[in-house]
Amino acid sequence: MTARVLIVDDHASFRSLARRLLVAEGFDVVGEAGDAADAFDAVRSLAPDVVLLDIRLPDLDGFGVAEVLAGGDGVYGAPTVVLVSSRSRGDYGPRVDASPARGFIAKHDLTGDALRRVLSGGS
Amino acid sequence: MRRGEVLVAVTALLAGVGAAAALVRGGYEVPIDLVAPTLVLNLAVGWSFVGVGLVARRRRPASRTGLLMVVLGFAWLARFLVAVDTTPAFVVGVLLGSVSLSLFVHLLVTFPTGRTRTPGQRVLVLVAYVLSAPLDAVFLAIGASRGRGEGPPPNGLLITPRNGEFSPDPVDLVVQAVVVALCVSVLVSIWWRWRAAGVAERRALTPGLVGGTVVLATLLVERTAILLFLPPSAGVVLAWSAQVVLVVWPIALLLGLLRSRLDRSGVGRLVVDLGEGPAEPGRLQSVVARALHDPTAQVAYRLPATDAYVDAAGDPVDVSPRDDRAVAHLTRDGRPIAVLLHDPVLAGEPDLVEAVAAGAGLAVENERLHAEVRHQLREVRASRARLVEAADGARRRVERDLHDGAQQRLVAVGLALRLARTRLGAGSRDELDALLAEAGEELTGALAELRELARGIYPPLLTDEGLGPALISLAERASLPVVVRAVPAERPPEAVEQACYFVVSEALTNAAKHASATQVGVDVVSDGDGLRVEVLDDGVGGADADGSGLRGLADRVAAVGGRFEVSSPAGGGTRMTATLPCG
Repeated sequence: MTARVLIVDDHASFRSLARRLLVAEGFDVVGEAGDAADAFDAVRSLAPDVVLLDIRLPDLDGFGVAEVLAGGDGVYGAPTVVLVSSRSRGDYGPRVDASPARGFIAKHDLTGDALRRVLSGGS
Repeated sequence: MRRGEVLVAVTALLAGVGAAAALVRGGYEVPIDLVAPTLVLNLAVGWSFVGVGLVARRRRPASRTGLLMVVLGFAWLARFLVAVDTTPAFVVGVLLGSVSLSLFVHLLVTFPTGRTRTPGQRVLVLVAYVLSAPLDAVFLAIGASRGRGEGPPPNGLLITPRNGEFSPDPVDLVVQAVVVALCVSVLVSIWWRWRAAGVAERRALTPGLVGGTVVLATLLVERTAILLFLPPSAGVVLAWSAQVVLVVWPIALLLGLLRSRLDRSGVGRLVVDLGEGPAEPGRLQSVVARALHDPTAQVAYRLPATDAYVDAAGDPVDVSPRDDRAVAHLTRDGRPIAVLLHDPVLAGEPDLVEAVAAGAGLAVENERLHAEVRHQLREVRASRARLVEAADGARRRVERDLHDGAQQRLVAVGLALRLARTRLGAGSRDELDALLAEAGEELTGALAELRELARGIYPPLLTDEGLGPALISLAERASLPVVVRAVPAERPPEAVEQACYFVVSEALTNAAKHASATQVGVDVVSDGDGLRVEVLDDGVGGADADGSGLRGLADRVAAVGGRFEVSSPAGGGTRMTATLPCG
């Protein structure tokens, strides 16, 4: 089954390119959001399987968004969260491992294969 | 002795003789065994007040205490007129007798200045005067010719046990109650004053207040003796002891007045103390406080070319006058160098404060220089900390700008190229073309942002071409019209050139961001051995010189030894001026 993906990033150029890249590699990109507030709305209305979530957002950071989405009340359906950033994973120290997100992909390494690896638990 | 004083003293002597004559030969019969003690005590009280009052007046001309004492002494002696068997003498004697009690309250409440300082004191003194002569005059006028015909009038002077039944009329009771209330109020007033007084003030107050309190308390017990079930003989003892205390009370008052003067030797010790021991910060202040017997005394040093004062450690001190302290200015060669903040009671001792100031003279100048250095050191430390903070802040901004700008664009370039590669076989030529064009645009944007960022870190034009071209380039890139009116042709030292550039750069940022300015003028002119940079905008004004941006500028200017000023009246534009020494 094709994973339904929501892309959350405040840079429109990244969202646009990531959408085209993932679609070209067989993903179903169901929506985009530019900040945390829009992301919550989009998750509720679109119920994606995967949220590709930028860590640096203008309102709440990606770690905070991941915590909310993983929250036990079930409002958001607990989608799988994959964090992305133009920084490297090392810049965030242990925070990535400590967060409920499934994994992390540096933006310049983003490909359909990289996303599949993370989703299958290969990180 | 001055002629006036001699005249007063002689008059007092004659008044005493007159009083004695009135008692003995006034026409009334006086028990012979009471004549001598009555005369001795009363003359002693009267002469004591006049004599000590004269000394007090001479030693403390600024205080009214001496004058009040002299007047009280005469009023005391003049009471003896009641012993003369004529109606006018009786009336005048009664009235003056009452006045002496009012003078006593006046003296006690206002000691040691002789002047009322608070509304409460004014009310007390006023009530004391109203209750005496005017009230007695009313009694006399309505015919209560007390004593006359029913017993000898000198009873007011003689101390004898109260005779017969206690059957006062209501008027008597009311008068007694008012007098008791007045006495209690005076005691309370004294207690409050003593509690509120500083150590120096208490030294001056204590002797006079203790004596006065004893007299007043005795009077109070005597007046309420009936209520307290004291035997009549106790009243006699109390009345005699009150008079004995009254004889020595003037000396207690004088002692209080002169107390600090007795400590003039302390000034000599101050000079010796200052010469010995380690010269640590604040030592002068503790030595001065000891010499003045005022632990609250504080020395604050003036920073040159400002109106600001600092303590020995270099911390700012507010030296504006307050109710609870007086300010004495210390000068050297006509220049103010320090202030001495002290207990207000010492303001009545200007010569003592002056002597201490003179004794501390050289030490003040020394400690002022130390305080100035400490203050500068403190400023430099604070400024250094701010510069480090500003540098850290600038690095954080660079990191953020890189992350949000060039880095995002380069990520986009990478993704576009990867996508193009993915689509090489499958996509159309147009699609590939669009992707490559997108990558190219992102690259161009990234380059422009990197260039801008690098220029913000350090402008290459400034190093290569100097201030003029760098400022013009800055003006051209500004988001509002900027006119660079003057820049000196000669290049100043690099540090000055940089400071100058950043002053203008920050001022332009401010003008664009906060001032809502429509135009900015920049002038850089030679100023003696240095440069004067002036940036003037037509914005809303009201810039906060202590805000972090302007504070950072002031620090940068201070780092090269310059001065930075901001004039920004609300609605009147902002003028920033930096004076930078080139030497």
